[in-house]
Amino acid sequence: MSLSALYFLFLKYGFLCFGGGYVLIPLMIDDFINQRGLISQEAFGNLISIAQLTPGPVGINAATFIGFTQHGVAGAVLASLGVITTSMILASGASYYVTKWKDSFPVKALLTGIRPAALALVFYAVVLFLGMSVLTPEVPLVQTVKFLCTGKNLFPADLHFSFPGLLICIVTILLLKKTKISTTWLILGSAVAGALICR
Amino acid sequence: METEKMDGEKETFCTVLPLWKKLFLLFFTFAKIAALVVGGGLAILPVVEETFSRKYKLLSSEDLLDMAALVQTVPGIIAGNAAAFVGMKVAGYPGVIASVIGVILPSVTVITLIAAFFPGLKAENPYVLGAFAGVKACITGLIIVTALKLFSKTVKGVYEGLAFAIYLIVMLFFKVNAAYVILSSIPVGFLYSWFLVVRMKKDRGEEK
Repeated sequence: MSLSALYFLFLKYGFLCFGGGYVLIPLMIDDFINQRGLISQEAFGNLISIAQLTPGPVGINAATFIGFTQHGVAGAVLASLGVITTSMILASGASYYVTKWKDSFPVKALLTGIRPAALALVFYAVVLFLGMSVLTPEVPLVQTVKFLCTGKNLFPADLHFSFPGLLICIVTILLLKKTKISTTWLILGSAVAGALICR
Repeated sequence: METEKMDGEKETFCTVLPLWKKLFLLFFTFAKIAALVVGGGLAILPVVEETFSRKYKLLSSEDLLDMAALVQTVPGIIAGNAAAFVGMKVAGYPGVIASVIGVILPSVTVITLIAAFFPGLKAENPYVLGAFAGVKACITGLIIVTALKLFSKTVKGVYEGLAFAIYLIVMLFFKVNAAYVILSSIPVGFLYSWFLVVRMKKDRGEEK
């Protein structure tokens, strides 16, 4: 696959990506494993587990990995740029026009409608994250991907309560409220704490 | 030192920072988000809130909510959409470029290194899994704090409270997709705004 074809394929993924990078994974499986046979199923499965356990959004991680297997570092950079081009056009455009016309009736009405829904989304994210950290299924990563791909089984039958998870969550809230500690240190600290107690 | 020109209303709210500092802030914050924040979706919100809203007062809580809604409605990777949205809001097109480079840099470096040098790496180390569980628990706490803060700033009346409760129930118990909730909230917003305008006109009419 040529570099430009790689870029445009990932550009297409960007446009098809509604609601986060997990949506792209079935598309990528279909393109790269089933149709083109460029990557083995095992290598791809391995990629997904690494993509979740390395820094970076899953969609961009997957783009970087596939790009690298095709064209080395240039492929990695171009595939990542391809998948993010949509954001650079549409999300920045939305940001620009919402700010520009914020006093006009249609934009005001639009935002009046959207804001309570957005708040509901934030609270929904709280529930999702509680499901990933405090109340977790036996195989959390698999369940999370399954849920995000299909929207089913948010709370599977084999849930178990994670006391260390709850502890870290509560300590984080208290530290954030009572001290001026930055989120960076909270995240790094809980990574260390998690490595020691969440096993 | 060159400062960004801003219109009168914004000036009262924004901290005036030189453009290079805004660009650096955008790049650094989104690189940090991409490198540290695990779990996808709105996990980015607490760090964006901390840096751009609480510390530098470049975004209001309304801006944060607009971001939360738009990044999930517009197609694209959520972290990328958030980077482009905030970059544009804070520093225009140069801001978009700075924050987008920040978002992809950690992935490109880390994944390239893994693919080049440890192609057979498997993520099964219990310490690594534990560290990620810890970070997710921490982000849960951060999002709870942000969510409550946004709640107290947004819900000011019956309309916001009722709409919020209905949307949340519909998503949690009827598994309605977030994008549909956002889309269906738009006509509701128009109806409510129209109702407000009509009521205002009526009030004025009665005064005369």
